[in-house]
Amino acid sequence: MKPIVVIPAYNEATRIAAVIRGARQYVPDVLVVVDGATDGTAHIARDAGARVIVHPENCGAGAATMTGIEAARRLGYDTVITVDADGQHATADIPRLLEAVVSQKADLVVANRFGRRNNIPLIRRIANGLGNFVTFAVTGVYLPDTQCGFKVFGPKALAEVDLRMSGFEFCTEVIREAARRRWKIVSLPSKVVYSEYTLAKGQSFASGLQTACKILLRTFLR
Amino acid sequence: MITLEFTPYQVVVPLFGVLMIVYAWNLVVRQKKTIWEGILWTTFWSAIIYISLVPSSLQFLSALTGIKKNENAATITAIGVIFFILFYLIMRIEELEQRLVKVVREKALSEAGINDDSHTTK
Repeated sequence: MKPIVVIPAYNEATRIAAVIRGARQYVPDVLVVVDGATDGTAHIARDAGARVIVHPENCGAGAATMTGIEAARRLGYDTVITVDADGQHATADIPRLLEAVVSQKADLVVANRFGRRNNIPLIRRIANGLGNFVTFAVTGVYLPDTQCGFKVFGPKALAEVDLRMSGFEFCTEVIREAARRRWKIVSLPSKVVYSEYTLAKGQSFASGLQTACKILLRTFLR
Repeated sequence: MITLEFTPYQVVVPLFGVLMIVYAWNLVVRQKKTIWEGILWTTFWSAIIYISLVPSSLQFLSALTGIKKNENAATITAIGVIFFILFYLIMRIEELEQRLVKVVREKALSEAGINDDSHTTK
């Protein structure tokens, strides 16, 4: 198995180095896709030991993730772990998530931030519930945390995945790809750390609604 | 003997609906839609076909919205058409956005020395 950690990042200069260091404790190769950042994220990521790809324009989390996946494929990796750049995910959970792929129990592993006693604000829980509902409505697959950025794509999923949605709605598109291509999905609980910073950076309730509308629209007009 | 009389509307809409359902399942067979999406699409167009064949099924909407005259129904239909055009334009914009993202992606990968045929590691 040849895994790589892919981190899509937009203006995360204050956080990215710690995330890279955390990930490299478990997976030596880390790829950061800097999505049109203007705050020196790319420079700091390189100094922290990551390979860096720079989008000249901000294209969105989905586009950056797909760039990382495409790069991993071209570089000959067979497993991709995606982690958010804001430091909310516990990189110590990487080995546990990887194990599900290694043991061939899953083609796609999605971390579940609600599976442990994490301190998650109510508004986030409601927004996530909405995301889960919309994802179920358009894919027929129910998962407890569809909008989590902490995922593992096994060899089959990595070879087949083709994300076209550029923004945060790509999380639902990943589940749609899993349903369409009949990947084995496993959801595993994971620790999450919400701070004022991560809450400010992530999706708001309004942007969550916008994402939900985009997903529904695409499903009907696809 | 029972005679059935259909308006042109009640012929065209069901035929179009059936066409859309066949098209949806064609996409499912070609693996461009999931089975779930095929079911959703079938449900949606079946409802449209049913409403066109049995317009009285929407009488509860008349009671709910107060729309009773045909002119009002025509206005609502026109608004529906405008919304459909709006959605279509949104989709076209998104397609253009996707093309732009592809260009940005290829440029970014190329600048990072990761070309399509490259299998170099760090």
